[in-house]
Amino acid sequence: MLTRKRWIFAMLAILPTLAIFAWVRMYPIADTLRLSLHKWDILSKKKPFIGLANFQELMGDRLFQEALLNTTIIAFGVLIITIPSAMVIAALIFHRTRSRFAGFYETAVFIPHVVSLVPAAMAWKWIFDARLGPLNAFLGLFGIQPQAWLFDPVLSVVCVIVLCSWQALGYAVLIYIVGFKSLPVSLYEAAKLDGASGPQSFWFLSIPMLKPITLYVSVVTLVSGFNVYAQAFVLASDAQGAPGRQVRVLVLDMLENSFRNYRVGYAASEAVVLLAIVLVLTLIQFTLLREKGGRS
Amino acid sequence: MTIAVDTHAKTFKRGLAKAALLGSVLGAGFFAGLSAASAQTITVWSGYPEMAPFYEHVAEGMKASHPDLTVKVEAIALREHEKRIALGLTSGSAGPLVIELPGSTASRYIENELLPAAPDDVAAFVKDPANFGPFFIDAVSKDGTVYGVPLFRGQGSLFYNTDMFEAAGLTEPPKTMEEYTQYAEKLTQRDANGNPTVSGWSMRLSGGGQGIAEKFWINLFQYGGNVLVQDANGKWKADYANEAGRKALKQYLDNVHVAKTVTPEMPADAEAFERGQTAMFIRESWVIGDIAAKAPDLNYATAPLPRGSIALPTNLYVSAEGDDAKVAWEFTEAANSPENLVWLLQNVGWLPNRSGVDYSVVTDKVPAFGAFVNYPEGYEFFTLPAIGPIEEVLTRLAAQLTNAFGNASLANDDAAIDAFLKTASDETNQILAREDLLAQ
Repeated sequence: MLTRKRWIFAMLAILPTLAIFAWVRMYPIADTLRLSLHKWDILSKKKPFIGLANFQELMGDRLFQEALLNTTIIAFGVLIITIPSAMVIAALIFHRTRSRFAGFYETAVFIPHVVSLVPAAMAWKWIFDARLGPLNAFLGLFGIQPQAWLFDPVLSVVCVIVLCSWQALGYAVLIYIVGFKSLPVSLYEAAKLDGASGPQSFWFLSIPMLKPITLYVSVVTLVSGFNVYAQAFVLASDAQGAPGRQVRVLVLDMLENSFRNYRVGYAASEAVVLLAIVLVLTLIQFTLLREKGGRS
Repeated sequence: MTIAVDTHAKTFKRGLAKAALLGSVLGAGFFAGLSAASAQTITVWSGYPEMAPFYEHVAEGMKASHPDLTVKVEAIALREHEKRIALGLTSGSAGPLVIELPGSTASRYIENELLPAAPDDVAAFVKDPANFGPFFIDAVSKDGTVYGVPLFRGQGSLFYNTDMFEAAGLTEPPKTMEEYTQYAEKLTQRDANGNPTVSGWSMRLSGGGQGIAEKFWINLFQYGGNVLVQDANGKWKADYANEAGRKALKQYLDNVHVAKTVTPEMPADAEAFERGQTAMFIRESWVIGDIAAKAPDLNYATAPLPRGSIALPTNLYVSAEGDDAKVAWEFTEAANSPENLVWLLQNVGWLPNRSGVDYSVVTDKVPAFGAFVNYPEGYEFFTLPAIGPIEEVLTRLAAQLTNAFGNASLANDDAAIDAFLKTASDETNQILAREDLLAQ
């Protein structure tokens, strides 16, 4: 237990950090909550209070519903692809730790995560190009007709999921590798003595013991998925010579309402809904993964 | 003792040298600051990157009368420019600015007192009928007060590839909207599987923003329709859930899904035209300058549209105070000098709004400008209403249209097309009603 003096010193030491955190993080959230109850066009000095009118309008807004559906599909799609893939890749890399290529494998997987988003999305835009893209050329080798990847309502969402997963995978793999390194080797040795194969050890030992890691990675991936914007924007960039179908996602809808339609209060209500959804999903994840972890 | 004195003297001399050096540096900085204080800097914000050389040309021309003036030109993509203005003007942190804005967007800023009125001499220049017609004066005015200076306008005409026309046996441009589809079918080039490789008529079918709705409005206008119409009380309502709207939308669907003269994934717009990937498309005059730069050997011509065209005036406004405001307004007037406007037309291609300037030195050399300046009698123009929610109306309509263009089931179903247009126009009217702008 700290003495009073040391406690005061500790509080004073972290106060500047807390102050910055409150100013940069908490104040904008509180102000967004406040703005969602007002009508504001970003230009006017007046912000009349309108209560829940923005939320009522939001519930019947077709574009918001489309954005919410697309964003949810993308977020969960990225989650479903990233978690199992990252776990398997991390397991393979971990079990090749003594290999001289282990460092190369880790680097290769992590590179997409550090590559700048815009040039990466432009490269994927070329890959998905309906006429000149290598993806359609590859599919053509198997007799599959060229697909309008960036224009079909369903395929364009798939493209965003693929791009987001490609970027998220590296970080998830790195975290899982750290997790694998922390697992007790004796358990695997015991399982081996009992006749368990590699995949059996992975399924019955690694996966349950990596629950805390899975919880962290899934929360981060899901939150990131719900905040998707740049990927959707670049893949269907507004360049008029090479258009694409703009997958409407929540952040894009917010930006459009704020700066195109001059309805910041309305956009703030969207942000509040997004915050609520992410909080609920995070709580569910904590409940599911922690509870099962506790029982085991 | 002698050694101590010598050491002390050396130390003193070194200290003196350092002090002199420090004093020189500080003095130089002080005088540099003084010079900077007397120099003026204004920033020009533009939403059209191709306009940057023009503003730099205007700044160059002002050097004789304003040797200490520095003009920074910041031209970015239009959608980012709009965000920049919304944030920059409300925060008041941007410094003295000359802002390029369409009149329909500027009205919001004027209503919120974020753009000051023009000084008397500038207002007199704008209101002089020898300089600008009533349409352009209205575009920069509110309740009779002038807030900006007209500069250029976007006006649509048909661009067509004369080589492709000749190859298809077509001797003149289409004159009716029905002919547009017939021409598109003849001009489309296809591969062995029948898929179009060169579109007969490039149409705006996808992408974000309100551009899709604006292009749809141009086609709709040829059929006698409008996205919005105004009543005698100054209120507005949607006017495209009717026969004109059905014809306009049906034409898109026929070209995409029935005749297959164009598909959403095909290269489109000016870039496609310059690469020979489309035979014709409707666009503004800036394309002429773009073609001259990127495809100077392209054989093409222009033609007026069947009924009329959109005319979107873009104006210059000033956000500044004191001496900075004075020189900023001088910049807007300098931009409208005859020499600079001829330079604009020749080197960029946007149409200047000022009357009484001889543009023939350009239009005679570049016949493509003919469709933009020599149009038939009775040719009509429309523009975007200067109402607050206009961007929201068009952006939401664009989102609806994008879905419709991709929906093959609408193609031969007039009832479904009518239902779609009814849904879209109801949404438009709801937006107008929310802002108390809906006509009864």
